[in-house]
Amino acid sequence: MVTEKIYLDNAATTQVDERVLKEMEKAFLENYGNASSLHSMGQNAMEEMEKTREKIAGLLGAKPKEIYFTSGGTESNNLALKGTMDLKNGKLIVSKIEHPSVLRTAEYLKEKGKKVVFAEVDEKGIIKLDKLEKELKEETVLVSVMHANNEIGSIQPIKEISELCGGKTLFHSDMVQTTGKLKIDLNKSGVDFASVSAHKFNGPKGIGLFYAKEGSKITALIHGGGQEKKLRSGTENIPGIIGLGKALELAYENLEEKMKKQEKMRDKLIKELSLIKKSRLNGHEKKRLPNNVNFSFYGIEGESLITMLDFEGIEASTGSACSSKNLKISHVLEAIGLDHIWAHGSLRLSLGKNNSEKEIDYTIKVIPKIVEKLRKVSAVRVGD
Amino acid sequence: MYSEKVMEEFRNPKNMGKIDKPDAIGEVGNPVCLIPKTKIYTKKGLIEIKEIKKREFVLNHKGVYDKVSKTFKREYKGKIIKVKNKLGINFITPEHQIFAVKVPKTYHFFHHKNKKRLFADWFHAEELEKGDLITYPILKEEKNKKYISFEQKRKKFDFKSKKIPNKIKINSDFLRFAGYYLSEGNIREKVGKTYLGLTFSSKEDFLADDAIKIINKNFGIEAKKKKREKQNTIIVEINSVWISRLFIKLFNKGAKNKRIPLELMLLSPEKQKNLLYGLWMGDGYFNPKRPRAGYSTISYELCQQIKTLLLRQKIIPSIYTEKEKRVKGVNHQKSFRIHVGERKSLEKLAEILKIPFKLKKPTLTDSWFDSNYLYIPITNIEKTNYKGKVYNLEIKNKHSFTTESLTLHNCGDMLKVYLKIKDNTIKDVKIETFGCVSAIAASSKATEMIKGKTLEEAMELTEKEVADALDGLPPIKMHCSVLAVKAIRKAITEYKEKQKKE
Repeated sequence: MVTEKIYLDNAATTQVDERVLKEMEKAFLENYGNASSLHSMGQNAMEEMEKTREKIAGLLGAKPKEIYFTSGGTESNNLALKGTMDLKNGKLIVSKIEHPSVLRTAEYLKEKGKKVVFAEVDEKGIIKLDKLEKELKEETVLVSVMHANNEIGSIQPIKEISELCGGKTLFHSDMVQTTGKLKIDLNKSGVDFASVSAHKFNGPKGIGLFYAKEGSKITALIHGGGQEKKLRSGTENIPGIIGLGKALELAYENLEEKMKKQEKMRDKLIKELSLIKKSRLNGHEKKRLPNNVNFSFYGIEGESLITMLDFEGIEASTGSACSSKNLKISHVLEAIGLDHIWAHGSLRLSLGKNNSEKEIDYTIKVIPKIVEKLRKVSAVRVGD
Repeated sequence: MYSEKVMEEFRNPKNMGKIDKPDAIGEVGNPVCLIPKTKIYTKKGLIEIKEIKKREFVLNHKGVYDKVSKTFKREYKGKIIKVKNKLGINFITPEHQIFAVKVPKTYHFFHHKNKKRLFADWFHAEELEKGDLITYPILKEEKNKKYISFEQKRKKFDFKSKKIPNKIKINSDFLRFAGYYLSEGNIREKVGKTYLGLTFSSKEDFLADDAIKIINKNFGIEAKKKKREKQNTIIVEINSVWISRLFIKLFNKGAKNKRIPLELMLLSPEKQKNLLYGLWMGDGYFNPKRPRAGYSTISYELCQQIKTLLLRQKIIPSIYTEKEKRVKGVNHQKSFRIHVGERKSLEKLAEILKIPFKLKKPTLTDSWFDSNYLYIPITNIEKTNYKGKVYNLEIKNKHSFTTESLTLHNCGDMLKVYLKIKDNTIKDVKIETFGCVSAIAASSKATEMIKGKTLEEAMELTEKEVADALDGLPPIKMHCSVLAVKAIRKAITEYKEKQKKE
């Protein structure tokens, strides 16, 4: 039995960095004023917030006034879709492998009578540009395609999509999985809107941001005191905002070096897991998040797999139907054409800054044993 | 989410695995299947999967016949995959495993030289794409029978019919003649006037002479040659009730029903060249100028058998079905055409047919042989919706079987329980589960609960009792977790039925 846990579920969420926590503590205990207040404590808080906004804008290649603070990825995604579709008539295109906060919102809009198209991806999880181009021939209000997928890590051709949109159609990208991992230059990327969440890069939960290119038209979801230039009412979550700013700053410190390290561990995992008989890598080999590994092992079920990994101190996740609330296989694995038995046996390992080579070596040793153990008790034959 | 008991049971599951010679097996869920009309390659010829019974022999992926140990049938609604290649079309469920070669989609593998370096493995129908290669087995079994015994008992008032030898030599003459009969032969059965006739075109005089010579030499019977100027044909008439009966017995009669008997299918490829010669000279054509050859028959079975004969000669056939049609007022029945177009194959065929044909320059080909298999590309693969019955087989030894155009694996169970029974009591039990934490825990618990119990007691075990013994299961997991109970009941019921019969 291992006492130290190996956390390989960083795509779900991450540990808050101590330096982030320290800054937030100050905001909670010292600078706790309401940014709308006119007294000095309030004004100090406001100043801190605006300084953070500037810092974030700088890190993401945007103007400070294009950054709006929200409660996180889900809210930002909702805002992008509903906030634009409410203003105009026309079509909405989202990819089939979007996060549920985009997919469910799109389904909701469809129920409300909007025309919605779910765009296909190829077997590697990359959007089919030719099909998207065809769809775009019809008057379209918004295209929403995530920068990288949370399950299989495939990175989408954002630049090409924005070129297809050609300035006529608005383009939103869910950048929750890429912010803090890939270099992002929002103003040059061609997107009109983007979503970011802090807890994916060692920041606090419950805070995120929404990027809206200067001049783009969008309407608010949450009405009230008119904060965030009326786009997002509600008292600003200053400790969260400060935590977000600090976390983002830390994430982009020595980014290349850190990502190289994760990439190395990722590739080691991919290489070693490929050696397991009847296993397959899900997602793209190259166009892939530096911290994502997604494998399927034929003939075993993912929930059993991750539970056994947990017994060995390794924390991971699966797209198996048995682990979902509605017993349906992951929509992403389905969209890339994985059949049910393969999808059942899927395992996602997502790396973070705290993972070490040693942990990866241990994981590489443990997984084949568990796969073999489960295959031994499985009624699905792996073949001669 | 799970109770402590579930986690404890999952951590240390009991009775997992299989029993070698179980007295009873119960299984649930069999997700891989074929549509009812799929034709399976058996020792007796191609038979629709729905007609296949236990103990039938089917061709496995090693080119040898194995026994069917079980047949399955179930209702299915969902996607089904249509796979097409030179040898035919099959519809199979997406998870069914096909013996094939996956060709990487990089330019490097445009070259066949590089493709040939790849190895075959089992792939799910869904994984395969157009251009990937199907691996199709060449029949490896060989049994060189030297004679066919043929007992002849005259009927009551038959005093004059001339008998033929009781032991008929399977030699090159006989095989050539068998080919003529399969292609050109017809039989008229009339009291006292039963005869076997062969119809050749007037250009094929040498074949008529050959047939007459064979009959004389091997059966001691004189045959007559008649020329019909009007029809431009030559008819060879063999007035022998015994020859007619022999050929009906071996090859059947009527163009639609003709077939090659197993004895001849299992002869060495070298000997079978004579059979192919006879067949091709009759109904086949060979055009050396526009290099191509073909054979056409209205017998599905014969077409499939010729395919097997050609594969054993390492000749690549393509099979086409021509629908029923009406041309110039004449009805043409549904026919099956075999086409040979690959140059190396043509060279081999020309040699068999003794036709001069020389390959001028080597040509590219998309298909090839190694010593065990033919490799042919998938020409089309697509998904369609299907609703209805689907079937599957379980095969001993190699766990594989062959359809008219694919080599398939036989398995796909979700849960399987094995019982050892003595004196009406469950002495041992083992279980295999493809399932989540609660399925494995419940399977383990269920086996513990029936071990040592009588069959009647085990039949009484309920899903709820298993769940209760684990301090409950999450409601959503209830159904799929306790399939073990269903499997146990199935095993016991089948066991009891078997006992009754014995």
